[in-house]
Amino acid sequence: MYGDDELIKVHKSRGIQIAYIVLGCFGIILLRLWYLQIFQGDVYHRFSIQNRLRKEINRAPRGMIYSRNNILMVDNTPRLDAVLTRQFLLNKNETIERLSKILNIEVEEINKTINRYSFQAKYRPIIIKKNISFEEVARIETENAFLPGVSVETFISRDYIDKNVGAHVLGYISEISQSQLPKYKNRDKYDYKLGDFIGQFGLEERMDKTLRGENGFDFVEVDALGRKRKYVNTDNIFKGIPDLGVEPGKNLQLTLDRDMQEVAYNALGEQSGSVVALDVSNGEVLTMISTPAFDPSRFSRGVSQEYWSSLINNEEKPMIDRSIQEHFPPGSTFKPFTAITALEKGLIESDSKIRCHGSFKLGRKTYYSWKRYGKEKVDITDALKHSCNVFFYDIASRMDIDDLATYAKKFGFGNRTGVNLQREVSGLIPTKEWKLKSNGVPWQQGETLSCSIGQSYVLVSTLQLANAYAAIATRGKLYKPTLVKKIFDNDGKIIKESKPELLSEIQLKESTWDAVQAGLYKVANEPGGTAWWRRGYGNQMSGKTGTSQVIAAKSEQDLYSKCDEREYQYRHHGVFVAYAPAYDPKIAVAALVEHGCAGSRAAAPIVEKVINTYMKKYHPSEYEKNVEKEREQMNRYWAQVRAKKNAEAKKNNEQETEEEGD
Amino acid sequence: MRQQIFNFFKRYDFSFIGSMTAIFFIGILNLYSATHAHTSLSMQNLYQSQLVWFFVAILVAFIISLVPAKNWFRFSYFFYGVNIILLILVLVMGHKGMGAQRWLVIGGFRLQPSELMKVSIVLALARYFTRMNPEKRLNLKDIILPFIITLVPAVLIIMQPDLGTGLILILIFCVIVFFKRLKWKSIISLGLIGLMSGLVMYNFGLKEYQRKRIRTFINPYEDAKGSGYNAIQSQIAIGSGRFFGKGFKNSSQASLNYLPENHTDFVFSIFNEEHGLFGSIVLIALYSVLMLRFIWLSGSVLRIYDSIMAIGVMSIFFWHTFINMCMVMGLMPIVGLPLPFMSYGGSSMLTFGICIGLATSLSNSRNIF
Repeated sequence: MYGDDELIKVHKSRGIQIAYIVLGCFGIILLRLWYLQIFQGDVYHRFSIQNRLRKEINRAPRGMIYSRNNILMVDNTPRLDAVLTRQFLLNKNETIERLSKILNIEVEEINKTINRYSFQAKYRPIIIKKNISFEEVARIETENAFLPGVSVETFISRDYIDKNVGAHVLGYISEISQSQLPKYKNRDKYDYKLGDFIGQFGLEERMDKTLRGENGFDFVEVDALGRKRKYVNTDNIFKGIPDLGVEPGKNLQLTLDRDMQEVAYNALGEQSGSVVALDVSNGEVLTMISTPAFDPSRFSRGVSQEYWSSLINNEEKPMIDRSIQEHFPPGSTFKPFTAITALEKGLIESDSKIRCHGSFKLGRKTYYSWKRYGKEKVDITDALKHSCNVFFYDIASRMDIDDLATYAKKFGFGNRTGVNLQREVSGLIPTKEWKLKSNGVPWQQGETLSCSIGQSYVLVSTLQLANAYAAIATRGKLYKPTLVKKIFDNDGKIIKESKPELLSEIQLKESTWDAVQAGLYKVANEPGGTAWWRRGYGNQMSGKTGTSQVIAAKSEQDLYSKCDEREYQYRHHGVFVAYAPAYDPKIAVAALVEHGCAGSRAAAPIVEKVINTYMKKYHPSEYEKNVEKEREQMNRYWAQVRAKKNAEAKKNNEQETEEEGD
Repeated sequence: MRQQIFNFFKRYDFSFIGSMTAIFFIGILNLYSATHAHTSLSMQNLYQSQLVWFFVAILVAFIISLVPAKNWFRFSYFFYGVNIILLILVLVMGHKGMGAQRWLVIGGFRLQPSELMKVSIVLALARYFTRMNPEKRLNLKDIILPFIITLVPAVLIIMQPDLGTGLILILIFCVIVFFKRLKWKSIISLGLIGLMSGLVMYNFGLKEYQRKRIRTFINPYEDAKGSGYNAIQSQIAIGSGRFFGKGFKNSSQASLNYLPENHTDFVFSIFNEEHGLFGSIVLIALYSVLMLRFIWLSGSVLRIYDSIMAIGVMSIFFWHTFINMCMVMGLMPIVGLPLPFMSYGGSSMLTFGICIGLATSLSNSRNIF
């Protein structure tokens, strides 16, 4: 190691070269300093003394949101705010007092607002009052000289044209909160500041980056009182620096239909529930409604404390999107999937007949049907039509729950659909393994019976139901539900167009599809079907009613008969899912009415209205034909009823005459 | 005994600690001036904690200076290896605690392994090149392995993400390789390869937004909304200082909070506003003295390892100083590197203290040990 002197000498030349380079670099720095401080020094000096350069944000207008028919759903409206910049504030007390008189706000409150932002840099304006009137604007402008640091600024607020309708899908924007700041800064690498608006719910949240655009910046000179001055162009040292143009947010065209949204919302009315309608051919979401809702416009102007607490304290939880953020037992609407499993696994043939009514015994427990009495045996189509529990108990007693789960999962249950919204629930399809893991006890065959009719552990969301029925309608095509049809800029240039995304194609026997579709058709189109009386005219729908148990009923009898007498929160949820028209399905609709007792009564009329709106709007001629067809069906039915009555009357008459004759 | 201590201090090389103190003296006054007008009390008292850090750094430097230099040689790879492990730990633990990915908390102390890596890489490279056929002029083949030695920690640091420090490592590598007599032919071809691959990457390998980022890297004025804003304000501050400056505590740009990071990255612009070109000439002269002292040391030590290490440590100081000054003057994009002994910050102060200690240890090894 020692005696490296020679080597070090060898390196000396490079050492000297490095020294020259270092000195050269410092020389460059001194040259630059000379340029800035001596050559341009006077200009900079004047600038720093007399003027202040301020970076003014030009907020990018947020993208608009349109319906599938290009009708505006979310708009931007300008709003004027009174702001105060601490840097230019003189005679603080006097100015604030004057301002408080103009704006009608207590002095303490203004001070509080200022203190809340005191950690921010002084040159950043603080909003004192939002949405001020033109009168207030005029007074601030005229008294400008006595209000150093106070100015009026334009902001753009968000206007949701349909108010509460579809609030959950569209979402809302509001000011970023202190706790969100680090999270969002991390996510977007964008310098968020307090006062920035971000999407907080629904599409506004999910598509925030697309909608937001990019803010632009102007450099303006500001005098000592904070008043803007125009550029003095002659010796402006900043003329080389371009202002940063605003990149407006991109617009969205949604797949939603505004009329259908409105119909669904009004049909739900005061009830809590959700409605989802899908285009079965591509998974486009036509309707997505959750009630009770909120008015998103009120958030973009800064939500008031009362409104916020009224939403938060509402027991019906308006801030939850019931179509995707909550799941519930699907009840009988799950039966088609039990039927599919049974048919595919060969537990029954499509023409096997099993008893429909009465009760079913498994082990020591007796399971009752909703209709206690009756003896006739029915095939699978009629079992669906009448929603026979005993039929399904029978096949479920021979069924492996894992098989049921396999087929249910094929239809998208138990997994998030992947729709473009946040906080979607996945629902639950139980398996043996799942139960052992979560409850620590093995699966009981009796539980398969409950699951076969969509109760106990089975949980689904409205969107999942609609999507699964869309897959039945298309004989196996399961699409990913989409909400955004197009993203386009202000010149109408399309930036992104969504294509239907086929998640999977479910392969089943043709006879299975036939049987299930026939069964669902009978539900709404044959006398005695559970939705026969609720189907309306013109939709030719195939569907299934369901009742979702809120609490475990003591006996099946309890489930239906006493529902109306119960306290509201113990009533069952009514569910109805349908696709239409049966012969050439175009749309699938699911409706959940919380505490609506039965699916046929509460949910079916809503679905019917949504489907009819769709048919009238998009397929008017077909609609007319369907109305005609159904009229005939009904006439035939009434003729039969009359004939039956007449026959009975005749019989009675005959009997009477016979008696008389005796 | 007394004589011994007297002799020790007589032979002890105070030049490095002296330069450090001189620059720090300017730095602490400047820091006080930059923060005294700030609204929050914690900012106003920043200079006090900076003083505490300085004394800690001096102490560390002194302790390190007492270690005979041959120990650095012995433990070079060990330090390097430990430091790599720490960097990996930062990445792993950083995933758990969001935001604080650069820090590692060990027994209540916050450790920033990327800072230490600047020193470790110098030790490791110095040792590598010591062993390597020293008579020969290096060609491209010879620097592949040391480049990998540099690249591994650099990538780990860039992943944190801390682009500035990662690039510093590579720049340190460049200086050492230059010093180790890489052939001019190789330097030119290396430059060309770098340029070519950069152009190819730029045109074909990158996405549009990445390209945009590079364009703003080359021309900060294009990004007027972000770092460009600070650069503009910084230039106003510097330019308005003219020759003699506005005087101590008279910086208007700083007191108005136009410069958000005026106590860390932008101290040099505050210094220029208050003391003008004259002050800068003095400050840059002090830095130059320090750099030349390092280079002179590299030629006067007894071992090739020490020589390389001296140059390496010099390059740490040089790059920080040069890049920081360039970025506040708008010659480079703002990457967030501190100015040695001027910027506020405990961990950078410690790193530079360690460097000073190492240099003193090398110097002392000639006379004392």
